[in-house]
Amino acid sequence: MKGVKNNSIWLDAFFKLKKNKLAFTCLIIIIFYFAAGLLCALGVLFPHYALTNNDRSYLPPSPEDWFGTDIFGRDVLARSFHGIKISLTVGLAGTGLSVVIGSIFGAIAGYFGKVTDDLIVWLYTTLDTIPYILLLAGMSFVLGGGLGTLCFAIGITSWVNLCRLIRAEFMKHREKEYVHAATAIGSSHFRKIFVHIFPNVFHIIIINFSLGFIGAIKSEVILSYLGLGVEPGTPSWGLMITDARLELSRGVWWGLAAASALMFILVLAFNLFTDALREALDPKLRGKL
Amino acid sequence: MKRVFCSSNLKVGFAGAFFLSIALSLISCTSKKNNLANELRIASANLKGLDPVATGDETSSNVIALLYDTLFQYQYLKRPLTIEPNLADGMPQVSKDGLVHTIKIKKGIFFSDDASFSGGKGRELVSQDFVYSWKRLCDPRLASEGFWLFDGKVEGLDDWRKAVQKDGKNFDAPVPGFQTPDSSTIVIKLSRPFYQLHNILAMVYTAPVPKEAVDKYGKEMVNHAVGTGPFRLESWTRNSQISLVKNPHYHGVYPSVGDTGDAEKGRLAMAGQKIPFVDRLIFYEIVEDQPIWLKFLKGDTDITAIPKDNFDAAIKNKDVAPDLAAKGVKLDRAPGYDLTYTSFNMLDPLFKNNVNLRYAVAQAQDTKTTIEKFQNGRGIEAQSIIPPELESYDPNFKNARLEFKVEKAKEYLAIAGYPGGKGLPELEYMVTNSSTARQGAELFQTDLGRLGIKVKISAVSWPQFLERLRDRKFQVTGAAWVADYPDAENFLALLYSKNASPGPNNSNFSNPEFDKLFEQAARTPPGPARNALYQKMRDISAEQLPIIPSTHREGYSLYHGWVTNYKANSVIVDRFKYVQIDVPKRTQLKEKL
Amino acid sequence: MLKYVLKRLLYMIPILLGVTLITFLLFNVVGGDPALQAAGRYATPEQVQLVKAELGLDRGLPAQYLFFVKQIVSFDFGRSWSTKQTISKMIMDGVGASLSLTIPAFFLTVFLSISIALLIAYFRGTFVDRAIFVICLAAISLSSLVYILYMQYYFSFQLGLFPISGWSPDWLERWEYLTLPIFIFVSISLGGSVIFYRTIFMDEIFQDYVRTARAKGLSHTAVLFKHILRNALIPIITIVVIEMPALILGSLLLESYFGIPGLGGMIFQALQSADFPVIKAMTFISAFLYMIFQLISDVLYVVVDPKVQLK
Repeated sequence: MKGVKNNSIWLDAFFKLKKNKLAFTCLIIIIFYFAAGLLCALGVLFPHYALTNNDRSYLPPSPEDWFGTDIFGRDVLARSFHGIKISLTVGLAGTGLSVVIGSIFGAIAGYFGKVTDDLIVWLYTTLDTIPYILLLAGMSFVLGGGLGTLCFAIGITSWVNLCRLIRAEFMKHREKEYVHAATAIGSSHFRKIFVHIFPNVFHIIIINFSLGFIGAIKSEVILSYLGLGVEPGTPSWGLMITDARLELSRGVWWGLAAASALMFILVLAFNLFTDALREALDPKLRGKL
Repeated sequence: MKRVFCSSNLKVGFAGAFFLSIALSLISCTSKKNNLANELRIASANLKGLDPVATGDETSSNVIALLYDTLFQYQYLKRPLTIEPNLADGMPQVSKDGLVHTIKIKKGIFFSDDASFSGGKGRELVSQDFVYSWKRLCDPRLASEGFWLFDGKVEGLDDWRKAVQKDGKNFDAPVPGFQTPDSSTIVIKLSRPFYQLHNILAMVYTAPVPKEAVDKYGKEMVNHAVGTGPFRLESWTRNSQISLVKNPHYHGVYPSVGDTGDAEKGRLAMAGQKIPFVDRLIFYEIVEDQPIWLKFLKGDTDITAIPKDNFDAAIKNKDVAPDLAAKGVKLDRAPGYDLTYTSFNMLDPLFKNNVNLRYAVAQAQDTKTTIEKFQNGRGIEAQSIIPPELESYDPNFKNARLEFKVEKAKEYLAIAGYPGGKGLPELEYMVTNSSTARQGAELFQTDLGRLGIKVKISAVSWPQFLERLRDRKFQVTGAAWVADYPDAENFLALLYSKNASPGPNNSNFSNPEFDKLFEQAARTPPGPARNALYQKMRDISAEQLPIIPSTHREGYSLYHGWVTNYKANSVIVDRFKYVQIDVPKRTQLKEKL
Repeated sequence: MLKYVLKRLLYMIPILLGVTLITFLLFNVVGGDPALQAAGRYATPEQVQLVKAELGLDRGLPAQYLFFVKQIVSFDFGRSWSTKQTISKMIMDGVGASLSLTIPAFFLTVFLSISIALLIAYFRGTFVDRAIFVICLAAISLSSLVYILYMQYYFSFQLGLFPISGWSPDWLERWEYLTLPIFIFVSISLGGSVIFYRTIFMDEIFQDYVRTARAKGLSHTAVLFKHILRNALIPIITIVVIEMPALILGSLLLESYFGIPGLGGMIFQALQSADFPVIKAMTFISAFLYMIFQLISDVLYVVVDPKVQLK
């Protein structure tokens, strides 16, 4: 019974998504970004992104350099593309961590209830009361800058919403027939949580992941402005936008334009895709996620 | 039915238009009012506080200097900088051994009115006020950043500090080195010769603060200003603006002696007149470069420094860009009395005994590019630790080891034991976390990359930066030093071993020969003999390169056509008290902006 | 009702303890030795010791924690390390400025976005709905720094419609400085807000009572205003109340660019100068307000909708 139900959700969603042309385009854009990020990381695409040439600084866009050059004569387009790599890393690692914490805590709290539940609810209510920006900035400040700590800080501060939803779902599911049946045949708690109930709440995790991804990318920009971003010299969008805000007044608009345009397209595609995904998987989640 | 819907949306439109029109009408009346005031308006970074002892940052000092006054000051127009009496009545009498300084103070100078005085009327300044304020500066409980001024130089000061640290009541005990035979005489007894004493008595840390005010306000002195300065505090909205009004009883007059070019620029027209000339001085506290620059272009501020990225638009061929010049904007250039440098941590085993590695780094640095990219060409390549404009500066001194020569650098790296960078661990370059500092670090990374040396940049916040300097936990960093007073000693102190961290010698350089010369120079009165000692120390630092001198910067500031008497100088912190505004001309010129 | 409120107030205690524990762990334990930072530059070891004693840092961690809790209870957070000002005064000074930016901006956003969301709800499923939705998503996908940089440059400098930056302590005079920042605030937050309220209206539209009303022959518009708007008002009010405490944080970027002396700028500076006492105080205060407003919101929910039962 469980299997049937699941298949239908995912298949149904797939067909709905396929019909939605806009969402499909967005998916292709996202895949394109991932491919570009991977190719940059492998050094296939724009390997010259770090190449400096001090005689060519602040050149405006031309057929040679589509988005001009920066202070050290580096190709802005190349650096913006390498920014994809950083943003996707932050998105994947930061959101990945947050999803793992959120779903495990949510599952444990919802499944076991009682004191475990009280403790976890207390923990996330406490975290939730602190304004996100203060929590995130405070965390990154204390841990120090850098890509690793940035992902860690984002992950450890942004799991509350998912945890709450998963907990509620687990509380519903643990009383369901199929779980009782599993208990009857002697399944362990671990098996019941991860093999039986989890597949039924997986769509929530997927949607949350997609939303968290957007949040993580935007957080990187804010943290960079606060001076808590990735290592200097790394071509991240946050650092590029932060530096370019000063350069704008010397008429160098292309640094800001390139980084924010690339970021804009990715975030917009993600936003549109997430909306379609939610619509397809579980329209009731609107407003909660 | 659809019409109902439309009208509700129309209301939104009306509301918006109404809102906007109110706003616009408000703007037009306030800006007209502002144009007629004899006010000087300047953009400033965020101000921390107004207590001369508690607050030592540059921004706050610029304001404190206008509210409080010092014993001595520098002549406004004359260069090189020459010290002159301010609150002091004439220059001090100095005993033959240079240890006893007797200073007379001017009579008839009053503190600004304040509730802490009986009757609310400011009382006359007396010599005891100075001694009280200096003791406050040295009070270990206040931990003032300015304590180093007197540290180790005044008779009996250390014992007094120890007593105060044990019990705060001992504060009232006398310091043998600070004496007041009568209410208009101060006698300072030094424990060793200290020829910069008059310079430090021109710094705002040593300004007189009345005891009554400190007793009343305590730590809240950061929000009060009870001084004898050219201006008085009118209001301060923290993080927004501070407004100072003219002190009508101020004793100062505009200087009559100028330097070359001052007369032509109209800077001597007001000679001998009472200062200040403006009725009010407003500092706008602005963090971001864009509003600072736009405000100046609109004529909302009168004088401005030029944000790095606005430089190309503002300056052409070392002069004001034609479009700005047409609007009456003028340029003032002033030497920065400063040094930017790369500092090694000499306690790090990698650099400690490997002078060739330091040479390699020095010759790999592309200083010309630094000046072009980060200083807009307004600076010169430093040849030594001593900046120009100081007496012991030698324009003919060149240090070949600071030349940008990659081949030579590679040779040194090989002699150092790391041919092609092989075997050398990745270096860590520490910077503060601002866009400019980060980009500077990237340049360093590129420069050393040419030799095959890998550099990791760690960008940290300003407090973390200071903490790591103090704990001696860094490898290489970039730094800058701006003169507190015009004497090479202030720069050479950066390498004196007793100043090692937490003192200003952050490279923790320790060289017995250098120390011996430094101590000898401290005992030598100003003159050729001392300059020779300074140059010997300079030669040691050029040979050892514990720090790599990079550039000496030049300050550029712009001011509008209605501003007169402005002459920039980083050492003269109270310079705005001399500035004059031509109000009708402002009304006329602002229309063109 | 009273019992419920009391119970909720009691539940605030463990949460607030949790908040103090987290900030304490973060800044006093993980964040390194605060005394070193508080003592300032060139501080000798003896000076650091003195500062430690003054800040209560020479005691063990539990004693330090109690000291921190005591500070909070007495609303005396000590002095900022960087400015040497009392923190309670810094907060009292900044809160008015932050609120005069955020309150009008927030309510304007709510008003505008509800109007637009109603419009979309009216046209749901059509091209207008889709277009506005995509525009809103696009608006929130753009970095807010871009809004500020361009709008300040264009409206204040190029067109000269507003002052570039500035502030007046006078309540009436400050509006000339606030107009543009409020306008930018609304532009930045409108997109997300419209999407949110659209969701609420859409939820209501598919409720049974709507179908019944339509079946009774009421017109589309009448249903939208009479029934849907009224019913949607409940979630809207509760959400608005919950979002209000965040308004005291001001806006970090807008305050920095427009010279508004609010708490956003204060937090920004505190973060940059590692001014931990300020950050700790702000964290606690905003958490406290958040809980109070959440309680108000829950109580309002019952008052507006008698069907809801309190547990």
